[in-house]
Amino acid sequence: MSKILRVNMTDLTAKYEDVPEKYKNWGGRGLTSFITLEEVPPTCHPLGPNNKVTLAPGMVTGTPAPSSGRISVGGKSPLTGTIKETNAGTPFSQHLARLGIKAVVVEGQPKENGKFWLLKVDKEGAELLPADEYVGKGLYEVYPALFDRFGKKAAIMGIGVAGEMKMAMAGVCFNDIDGRPSRYSGRGGMGAVLGSKGLKFIVADDTGGPGVDIADKDLFDTGRKKLTEALRTHGVTKEGGGLNTYGTAVLINILNEAGGLPTRNFSSGEFEGASKISGEAIAEGVKQRGGAGTMGHPCHPGCIIQCSNIWPKPDGTEHVSVIEYESDWALGANCGIDDLDVIAELIWLCNDYGLDTIESGGTIAVAMEGGLAEFGDGQKAIELMHEIGKGTPLGRILGQGAAFTGKALGVVRVPGVKGQNMPAYAPRAIKGIGVTYATTPMGADHTAGYTIGPEIMSVGGKVDPLEVEGKAEISRNLQAATAFLDSTGYCLFTAFAIMDIPEGLEGMVETCNAVLGTKWTVDDVGEIGKEVLKRERAFNEAAGFTKADDRLPEFMYYEPLPPHNTVWDVPDEMLDQVWEL
Amino acid sequence: MIEIHLYGKLRRFTSSRAPTGDSIVRVPLEEGDTIADVLKRIGISLEEVGSNIFRNHKYSTLSRKVEEGDRLGVFPDDMQLLYKWYFQKEDDQG
Ligand code: SF4
Repeated sequence: MSKILRVNMTDLTAKYEDVPEKYKNWGGRGLTSFITLEEVPPTCHPLGPNNKVTLAPGMVTGTPAPSSGRISVGGKSPLTGTIKETNAGTPFSQHLARLGIKAVVVEGQPKENGKFWLLKVDKEGAELLPADEYVGKGLYEVYPALFDRFGKKAAIMGIGVAGEMKMAMAGVCFNDIDGRPSRYSGRGGMGAVLGSKGLKFIVADDTGGPGVDIADKDLFDTGRKKLTEALRTHGVTKEGGGLNTYGTAVLINILNEAGGLPTRNFSSGEFEGASKISGEAIAEGVKQRGGAGTMGHPCHPGCIIQCSNIWPKPDGTEHVSVIEYESDWALGANCGIDDLDVIAELIWLCNDYGLDTIESGGTIAVAMEGGLAEFGDGQKAIELMHEIGKGTPLGRILGQGAAFTGKALGVVRVPGVKGQNMPAYAPRAIKGIGVTYATTPMGADHTAGYTIGPEIMSVGGKVDPLEVEGKAEISRNLQAATAFLDSTGYCLFTAFAIMDIPEGLEGMVETCNAVLGTKWTVDDVGEIGKEVLKRERAFNEAAGFTKADDRLPEFMYYEPLPPHNTVWDVPDEMLDQVWEL
Repeated sequence: MIEIHLYGKLRRFTSSRAPTGDSIVRVPLEEGDTIADVLKRIGISLEEVGSNIFRNHKYSTLSRKVEEGDRLGVFPDDMQLLYKWYFQKEDDQG
């Protein structure tokens, strides 16, 4: 029987509770958003004692289902003030699930400021230990020390110095398959919320744990096989396919061709240095330099897509894992930087300090716009990152994200929604993604519903990225589908295969039914997703958000974006239609 | 003359194949040419071409007509990514 682990940081206790009936069929994002809506006062201060952080593995996480090791981290975001769910793929999620933990709820706040704790969870139970010895250090130094102390079999959630300093772009870090501090639930500053609660690490070890109950083993095997087959045959997800060969950064060249690769703080949709930082360039660099360089790396055991990579230094030693599309773009094209070694270093610093790469890149770009550096100046970008890590007065400003930095520097061109900087798709060129940026409960977030798919990447080409018509419906359906997927524990990238191969989606739903004992069909997916969206929307409304917040920044309405030279012209009414669920 | 930018495995149809640079073929235009026509003329089998085809940065189908001075960007079938969940059927119709 799975449990909820409630960690109270006010009285420093960790207790197991039964899972209430209403939460039984939820996991991942569906569960974190449900608990947040039920337990967190929407108007609370995100860094105060009444906010809570919920961590939840997906519905099928911890089972042999392929590519299913995602964890959701939810609560109220200090970056946006909205509800937040941000997920990552990591062995940590599998450990929690196999320990029979459906969710960890972290609440309260220690009376003593500046003290930090470590939660140790294993089959014997859960206890809080002092963690002060790890404070103020980089995560690349601390993670190996923790693995030495708790054993290589353990898995670790942590926050870096950015979280300790309660920066709104502090992420929540998880180890990858080899123990690197490199998989982030990056968005929305949830690392700062954990910092405000003094919880620095959770160390989980599933050795001897009960494992995940599967209600119907035969059904599970049937579903798992269908999904595995779909992933193994689809051109994008199979071994030797697009993701496995080039990583997610394969999108750099594609978005550049589409005129939708945001460049130099969203002032152009085309980057002249794109080919130098593309997925193909990464694969080539890995091949030529050899050594530790790896393409087709899995972030957690059981991923058969394996889109991750390890970027080597010129001498072949390891520099960083992972250069994925969003990080590559945020710290590359968006800052006018076309050098993969500089981008690798910036990603390494984000991982070490505990920062979201997307918000970091967005912030540096706004800082460049504000005159703190020239676009393209990689060395200066690295210096700015150190300011953040060291917590200098300037660093404390930058660490609050792009919108805050823009205010501090008097910058008008701040490409965010609800305080969160946009990811790697230019909404003036790809209108549908703009609809999602504007309307998702998360603040500008691409994973909330990729209209990128039908607009840029679909077969047939009936959806024109520059057309306005019909975008609300597309965005609504995709947001719902994504909310479901984010609840299952499956990686978003399984979507390529399940959208094209109907048996794949069937198999996915069957594995969920097999674990939960539900009787869902593929037609229920959209409705389940909508339930999640409705709860998230309800939280935001109670927190004071209105449809006036579901808008893109004003400059996009009057400033045309090259090469298409189009402005943002989706009517407000259409944005509002997204929420006619 | 039009300019075709090729990516991934399609770069082999050009003389500049470096994956870190631009692989470009310039092709003279013939009356009534579609994107499919010019791709076939330079030896590319349409089976290798994915749905990620751009004409002057606009997402295009293979049947779209090309004009003098156009710039095409063409990606192979293993480089087409992400969601078309609810839209595939719509896309495939008509
Ligand atoms: S596809 Fe990539 S991000 Fe997804 S689980 Fe696999 S390695 Fe991780």
